[in-house]
Amino acid sequence: MEQTTERSPVVELQGIKKHFGAVQALRGVDLALHHNEVLGLLGDNAAGKSTLMKVLSGAYIPDGGQILIEGQEVHFANPMDARRKGIEMVYQDYALANNLDVSANVFMGREVVRVKLGPIGVLDYRYMEKETRNLLARLKIDITSVRQKVERLSGGQRQAVAIARATAFDAKVIIMDEPTAALSVAAIDKVIDLVRELKAQGSSIIIISHRLEDIYRVSDRMIVLRQGRKVTDTPVEGELHDFREKVVAYMIGARDDYRDSTAG
Amino acid sequence: MSFLDEARKLLRENIREYGMFIALFVIMAYFAFATDGLFISSRNIVNLVNQTGYIAVLAVGMTLVIVIRHIDLSVGFLAGFLGAVAAISMTSWNLSVYLTIPLVLGLGILAGLLTSTLVAELGIPAFVATLAGWLGYRGALQLATRATGTIIIPNDTFNAIGNKFIPDIPDIGILPEIHKVTLLLGLLGIVLFVSSEILNRSRLQKQGIEGLSTPMFIIKVLFVSALIGGIAWILAGYQGLSWTAVVILLVAIIYDFITRRTVLGRHIYAVGGNPEAAELSGISVKRITHTVFASMGMLAALSGILFASRLQSATTTAGTLFELDAIAAAFVGGVSAAGGVGTVIGSLIGALVMTSLTSGMNLMGIDISYQYIVRAIVLAAAVIFDVTTRNLRK
Repeated sequence: MEQTTERSPVVELQGIKKHFGAVQALRGVDLALHHNEVLGLLGDNAAGKSTLMKVLSGAYIPDGGQILIEGQEVHFANPMDARRKGIEMVYQDYALANNLDVSANVFMGREVVRVKLGPIGVLDYRYMEKETRNLLARLKIDITSVRQKVERLSGGQRQAVAIARATAFDAKVIIMDEPTAALSVAAIDKVIDLVRELKAQGSSIIIISHRLEDIYRVSDRMIVLRQGRKVTDTPVEGELHDFREKVVAYMIGARDDYRDSTAG
Repeated sequence: MSFLDEARKLLRENIREYGMFIALFVIMAYFAFATDGLFISSRNIVNLVNQTGYIAVLAVGMTLVIVIRHIDLSVGFLAGFLGAVAAISMTSWNLSVYLTIPLVLGLGILAGLLTSTLVAELGIPAFVATLAGWLGYRGALQLATRATGTIIIPNDTFNAIGNKFIPDIPDIGILPEIHKVTLLLGLLGIVLFVSSEILNRSRLQKQGIEGLSTPMFIIKVLFVSALIGGIAWILAGYQGLSWTAVVILLVAIIYDFITRRTVLGRHIYAVGGNPEAAELSGISVKRITHTVFASMGMLAALSGILFASRLQSATTTAGTLFELDAIAAAFVGGVSAAGGVGTVIGSLIGALVMTSLTSGMNLMGIDISYQYIVRAIVLAAAVIFDVTTRNLRK
């Protein structure tokens, strides 16, 4: 990350707090994502990973803290606000309409219109199908026809479509929530390849995963959350075995880099 | 790939789309045979179309309602009630027919928005909300007709919608017994269809997309052209295109265009396929729900107008069970109860299938009790077919 450290991070979260009733889900979390970086976000169940990402993607409004995009403070009222600012989320269940074809899913909610007759916009099928074909080719995604309905695709192909959709509109940040959770081993490899391809093409990505080796394989850096706090923020390096041991130690609370700086 | 292989592959991949056309064809062929051709006589086909009209327009609206995973039970009595309002408007309020029709359509839209407010804003299940509507509009219909009983509609223009035919050019010696405008319209339909198919095909080929093989393409174009031509010829042999047929055609063309070609249509199917995903993509599920129920209300009003016009009166029981006929037509036409799947044209064919069954069995003199059972079997068979072919494709 030599040259990117000079620019401000593409996204910065400062002191994010969020509670649900009496439960403190986030107790002041800092997170920075640099340009063209893949950041792994780890933690046990209820550690606050998903809550933090829902704050970043506009689904939750934080109780405290700031969100900065390229140094500018922003406020999101809903996921569309976040999308307009270039934050794209790939949901765990893909969030695709299975009854529609690949191209329709990629452009869902952002359809390209050929003519506008009052409130009725006429779809530009040709353009959207062409763009979808280009997008799939660029990301080396193996789907025979953009007119195939999503219900006829495999799990891995669906995940690829969901990821392709997130990248279709010049996203600044792509958040992937458990992108490999429901996939076969072969399909996981394809998703990992896809993430590498995205990084090679300049994307900045945050990945949430339970699968430590997935994070290990693609991430430049990792953040571990525990009970709503960040317990480590460190480059991913070394052997997989050591990495795994280290992460588990942070996840169960045996190690904590920030114990003194924050009070629970 | 040999010709037969291609035919087999096409049939397998599009069995759901072609299934209902095949079913309609088989049913019509059977009745034509069983009634010695009486069933496909010009007069009977014209009647069949006019009988289908008020269910067909409801089925179109119901298709979209079911696509977005709701149901509307209120539309039958809403149609009956609005038909009565139309009659009262012309007889008691002395409004002209040209004011009455927009007024009634507007009231239909308002009724639809009332339903969608309950469903989308208050989160009441559509089944319950529209069951309340079913009760309410039934009461409203009885109130509206209480003083007078059946309201006779004396307006010729209004009654023409359900009973009269489009005008013909004066006799010029050729084809004296034939309705020439209808034939010309049929010809126009064929020309439009063939040219759009050819344009589409060359455009796809320019993009390098493999479509149908040339012989298969020619067969498809010839078949559909023959179908349009045949229907036009049969209609022209009696008195031509009825105004009801014109209304159905307009509704079909407009709704088919909206559902397949526009952003609104795309959003309706996205909401039906996965409401959460649609909402996350910035599609307002509420707005789509309001739009779809408003359109349903408007089509219910249209159905009421068609029915009142056909009977030339508003009766105290108009609209009874229309909603269930419309729902049955939609399911026969390939709409899926799970949402997201179903086409306007399919539901129209479904409506035609159901009316053909009634008409054909009436001509054969089959007891009404058996007629219900036969229709039950057809409905069940259509849904079984739908479910099994869906699993087959995966």
